[in-house]
Amino acid sequence: MTREAQFESILEHDSAGFTYFKRYASSLDLRLLLLVFGSLALLSMVIATGFAVAGAWLILPFAGIEMFALGSVAWLVLRRAGDFERLALRGDRVLIEIRERGFSQQFEFNRCWVRLVSGAAGSVALRSHGRDVEIGRFCDEESRQALVQALRSRFDGNRISN
Amino acid sequence: MEAAHAHTPGYGHDDHDAHKPSGIKRWVMSTNHKDIGTMYLWFSFSMFLVGGVMALIIRSELFQPGLQIVQPDFFNSMITYHGLIMVFGAIMPAFVGFANWLIPMQVGAPDMAFPRMNNLSFWLLPPAALLLIVAQFMPGGGAGVGWTLYAPLSTQAGPAMDLTIFAIHILGMSSIMGSINIITTILNMRAPGMTLMKMPLFCWTWLITAYLLVAVMPVLAGAVTMTLTDRHFGTHFFNAAGGGDPVLYQHIFWFFGHPEVYIIAIPAFGVVSQVIPAFSRKPLFGYASMVYATASIAILSFMVWAHHMYTAGMPVEAQLYFMYATVLIAVPTGVKVFNWVATMWRGSLTFETPMLFALGFLFLFTLGGFTGLVLSIVPVDVQLHDTYYVVAHFHYVMVAGALFSAFAGIYFWLPKWTGRMYNETLGKWHFWLSLIFFNVTFFVQHFLGLAGMPRRIPDYALQFAEFNAISSIGAWGFGLAQLLFLYIVIKTITSGEKAPEKPWEGADSLEWTHLPTPAPWHSFETPPVVK
Repeated sequence: MTREAQFESILEHDSAGFTYFKRYASSLDLRLLLLVFGSLALLSMVIATGFAVAGAWLILPFAGIEMFALGSVAWLVLRRAGDFERLALRGDRVLIEIRERGFSQQFEFNRCWVRLVSGAAGSVALRSHGRDVEIGRFCDEESRQALVQALRSRFDGNRISN
Repeated sequence: MEAAHAHTPGYGHDDHDAHKPSGIKRWVMSTNHKDIGTMYLWFSFSMFLVGGVMALIIRSELFQPGLQIVQPDFFNSMITYHGLIMVFGAIMPAFVGFANWLIPMQVGAPDMAFPRMNNLSFWLLPPAALLLIVAQFMPGGGAGVGWTLYAPLSTQAGPAMDLTIFAIHILGMSSIMGSINIITTILNMRAPGMTLMKMPLFCWTWLITAYLLVAVMPVLAGAVTMTLTDRHFGTHFFNAAGGGDPVLYQHIFWFFGHPEVYIIAIPAFGVVSQVIPAFSRKPLFGYASMVYATASIAILSFMVWAHHMYTAGMPVEAQLYFMYATVLIAVPTGVKVFNWVATMWRGSLTFETPMLFALGFLFLFTLGGFTGLVLSIVPVDVQLHDTYYVVAHFHYVMVAGALFSAFAGIYFWLPKWTGRMYNETLGKWHFWLSLIFFNVTFFVQHFLGLAGMPRRIPDYALQFAEFNAISSIGAWGFGLAQLLFLYIVIKTITSGEKAPEKPWEGADSLEWTHLPTPAPWHSFETPPVVK
């Protein structure tokens, strides 16, 4: 499974500007996730406690290990669920917003100073005043090139460099 | 404003297929849900053959009264490992194989949520199976304790018991990882528009099954660990001489064991719920009621465990409770059977091999469910407990229920998996031989049980000779019929006719409507939109 396949993207461009948005494709319903994982943990714990009271306490540690595994998975899923990358061009402003693994970052550049630069392993970044911000991080090569094409036409004169 | 939404249904292009790994690495290091599904299915069939050989040893010994072929200890060992291998090695992995192949495609996902964990889930199985087989060659032979591993037999058995306990731990770990993966895939990776109540019923049944597995696996792990500590570390959980209680083991085991029956049966319901509508050319009747009935069965399965131990001694109030609760399961099960029949009602029916196996399932599983009702009645069960009536009952549920449904599913999805059609004539031969020989084997066992023949004995009184001979002949016939199945599958893969894009016109889930045949290496690189 490619990483790209886990993300859905929206590319909009009109006379007023340009927006590229890519987010983690998640059908997650937080309430349902909490209901399923919470009820499983509760049920598992109630069963294990019941047997512990009856003298079979060795079920408890296994239930605990399993709850830890369940909790880890729920945490992983929740952490990834909010991942997105947004790149917007509004007049002279280039706005970049990235949320990856729970950490959010925002950047703003002046369009006239921005250059598209290609980095190692096919990555692409926006560079301005000595600062690089990787874009298309959730893309495969094909859709990253499509994004580069879309941006190149808007950064007239700001050539791609290595 | 022009807007480009990456919403068109998409799948891997042919060039992606060209990049798929080859050789042994493709299988050992695979994170592809289809490859892992294939490995599960082949592993399951291998274990089915191993468990089947054990069954034939049992039936050959029982062909005539007296000790003919094997010694009683070895017979007991065969009884134990036939059960363990069929339940944990054959039937459960078969449906996990279906889950791997189908769930991502049916919910419109590119793969399972945790592909590497998926790989590990599978690769835990072969060492566990190896332990179960190697246990036969330990000093004193295999553990002759029955698949239930009851104490105090299990606390006194030879070193093979330790290998068996270790194998069960590994199998449990595999099941839990697989379940967490399935739950996460279904909850988190559905395509846009694929709401829970739009999912194919197979996905619903697996979501519920995975929930059951996660809930009961710690109980089994705890049970076998306590057996282990009783054997080697001086504890007395199940040792009456040390203040323990062997009946406590039975409660623990069956608290796991009864939901386990539904862990096996519920995915089978899911497969049949895909096959019957496809060959009736009608949507499944009462979809929502099917979901609720499945959930009801799962919930009730936690409340009926002690119907397996009426004769172990319990207050009459408890017997009444467990009897009524068990009878109650007939209600949601009846809803399901009614809905399958109603789906066929006035449908444009055809009877290709998958449909034949689904109908075989429906007919024989209903019979097995009915004998289950008979056994739920306390005074009847006290008479029939541990007789061949029970053996007949659970084989109608496990073989005719789970196995026939698995065959239905394999014939149904084989064209999607391989891109080739199986031989319909041979498929029908396989069905009719299986149906006839299954009933020859197990129907007569009802009579043996009613006449009082106990289970798990290598020798028996002369009065049971005829029915045992018939049953053994049936078992050999059933076993040989499965070699025909192996031939059909291999012939399909190697030289079957090219399958059309959609060989079953009534099939309407995403893998049939949105993906080519055979299914590409990568499915749904961009998620489809479900209306």
